[in-house]
Amino acid sequence: MTPSFNRHLIKRICIYLLCAIALLWAIGPIYWIFVSSVSTRMELYATPIKSWFPSEPTWEAYIRLFQGGGQYRGGNVSPTEGLMWSGLYNTLFVSIVSALFVTFLSTNAGYVFARMKFRGRGFIFFFLMLMMPLPLWVSIIALFFMISNAGLIDTLSGMILLFIVFLLPLGIWLMSTFIREINPEIEEAAIVDGCSRWQLLRWIIYPLSKSGMAAVFLVSLLTVWNNFLLPLIFTRSPDSQMLTVVLSLFVGQYEVAWEDMAAAAVVTMLPPFLIALFFQRFLIRGMTLGAVK
Amino acid sequence: MNRETRQDFVFIGVILVPLIILVGILIYLPALDSLLTSFTNENLRILRPPKFIWLKNYSKLIESSEFWTVTARSLLVVVLTLPLELFISLGLALLLTEAFPGRAMVRTLIILPWMLPPIVNGFLWGWLLNGEYGALNGLLYQLGFIDEYVTWLKNPDTQVLWVTVVQTWTRFAFPTIILLAGLQSIPMDLLDAAKVDGASSWQTFRNIILPLLMPSIAVVLTIEFIASLQIFDVIWTLTAGGSAGGAINPFTKTLMLYNYELVFRDLRIGLGAALSYLILFLSLGVAIVFVTRLYNQAVKT
Repeated sequence: MTPSFNRHLIKRICIYLLCAIALLWAIGPIYWIFVSSVSTRMELYATPIKSWFPSEPTWEAYIRLFQGGGQYRGGNVSPTEGLMWSGLYNTLFVSIVSALFVTFLSTNAGYVFARMKFRGRGFIFFFLMLMMPLPLWVSIIALFFMISNAGLIDTLSGMILLFIVFLLPLGIWLMSTFIREINPEIEEAAIVDGCSRWQLLRWIIYPLSKSGMAAVFLVSLLTVWNNFLLPLIFTRSPDSQMLTVVLSLFVGQYEVAWEDMAAAAVVTMLPPFLIALFFQRFLIRGMTLGAVK
Repeated sequence: MNRETRQDFVFIGVILVPLIILVGILIYLPALDSLLTSFTNENLRILRPPKFIWLKNYSKLIESSEFWTVTARSLLVVVLTLPLELFISLGLALLLTEAFPGRAMVRTLIILPWMLPPIVNGFLWGWLLNGEYGALNGLLYQLGFIDEYVTWLKNPDTQVLWVTVVQTWTRFAFPTIILLAGLQSIPMDLLDAAKVDGASSWQTFRNIILPLLMPSIAVVLTIEFIASLQIFDVIWTLTAGGSAGGAINPFTKTLMLYNYELVFRDLRIGLGAALSYLILFLSLGVAIVFVTRLYNQAVKT
């Protein structure tokens, strides 16, 4: 064995060791919450030695959670019946609908800013972007009373409206930079052929910016799904409470048993987890730009 | 105006006008409204018409000891989180620029915590740190570091430390991505030249990599400053006591939680609005300082 080979080997070992530590730090907690949700009671509450691999995995906590509701830490059934279903439905509905709106509105606007020259373009762009990096807390206080007066408090349409507005700047920013990178010759040819702007959008821009639109859609979906502050403030009944709020109620108000809580947490984080795992390349750029939120 | 430009004009109008109205009504108008409210003594607990009191809310906040306690705590969270995040993400970025089989997978997995709902992260760590059945206790016990289980989150003095750990766990992926991109933009021949000249790894890092990484570090610090100053979700499920309308644990009450409490529990709208603007100025001030320094650096080099 040559010394350089030796050094190489040692370096490799060090790298993998460090990777193992990094993965324990990043993934360990996620692994544990999953294990907690499928462990039997006996194993979950075993002390002082924990069982890191459940010997008989069970879906009981999930079944309990979705039928009849989670249990109190004390033992009785807590008044959480149906909360998981309604939370899941509300979150799915609000995140998908607002992400769709944001994707189309910001693709259209992105096209306008990327390709068309008109007076006030810079100003309007600035007007729409200005609030992106700012904390929206200053708007939220007065917004609460506006939304109440409009009768939109505690409604899904109110939530969708708020999320669309809060996500638009990021979406427009992403789509305008994306569309700017498309080769303009195709569009120019289409205009010469007598294509209207709407036809252009429908038949050329949408198909060519599919991956950009996918990125905006996924980033919006993830942002809405993960958001807690807006549903906390703008909803108050199970009719419109989203999963993040339901989870916070389980932790604070209802004191749900740990294994049921763990199952609820897994349900809440599973879609973001899967999206992040399989669509990461779509997400990085958008999430990096929207990192402040 | 000829037909084509008129059609374009309609096209632009149909697309942009609704967006301008939406953003104007739902972001700018309430922001302005909050600003005006911050000059009044509006309080929904007391039925009285709000009176204009100029800057009294601001002076009341600045003179109150609670405001300073909360601000100091928020800054403590920032001061503890930023170096921790920077240390972890810089280490990870350096590790993940090395080429080795499985690197892509490690990169993908490392980023996951950042993509999860922060509210879940707070609960997740609360359970991990649980004093009776927690996994951290189990792990440390099995490794022989502790003889009996420790109630990590019980002590009010150290709760803030755990908040910073969980905040770091939630956020470290973002700085890692930015620093990785920064590292990849460093020209290889520069590093090769250093190696030829016989520079040690540490010298290369200290004298070449770190200075060239400074702009990325500045970006990271700015954004992470704003993010940890406005920490909310993680604390809510970790230590706040977390039920809407209920009492908020005073030992981990940071600026955003204080603001939530003032507005939505105490209904002191005027005072809360004033606080929200103070938070905004604090974030903006730091952002501007960082960005100008970054700009100067970019101009000088």
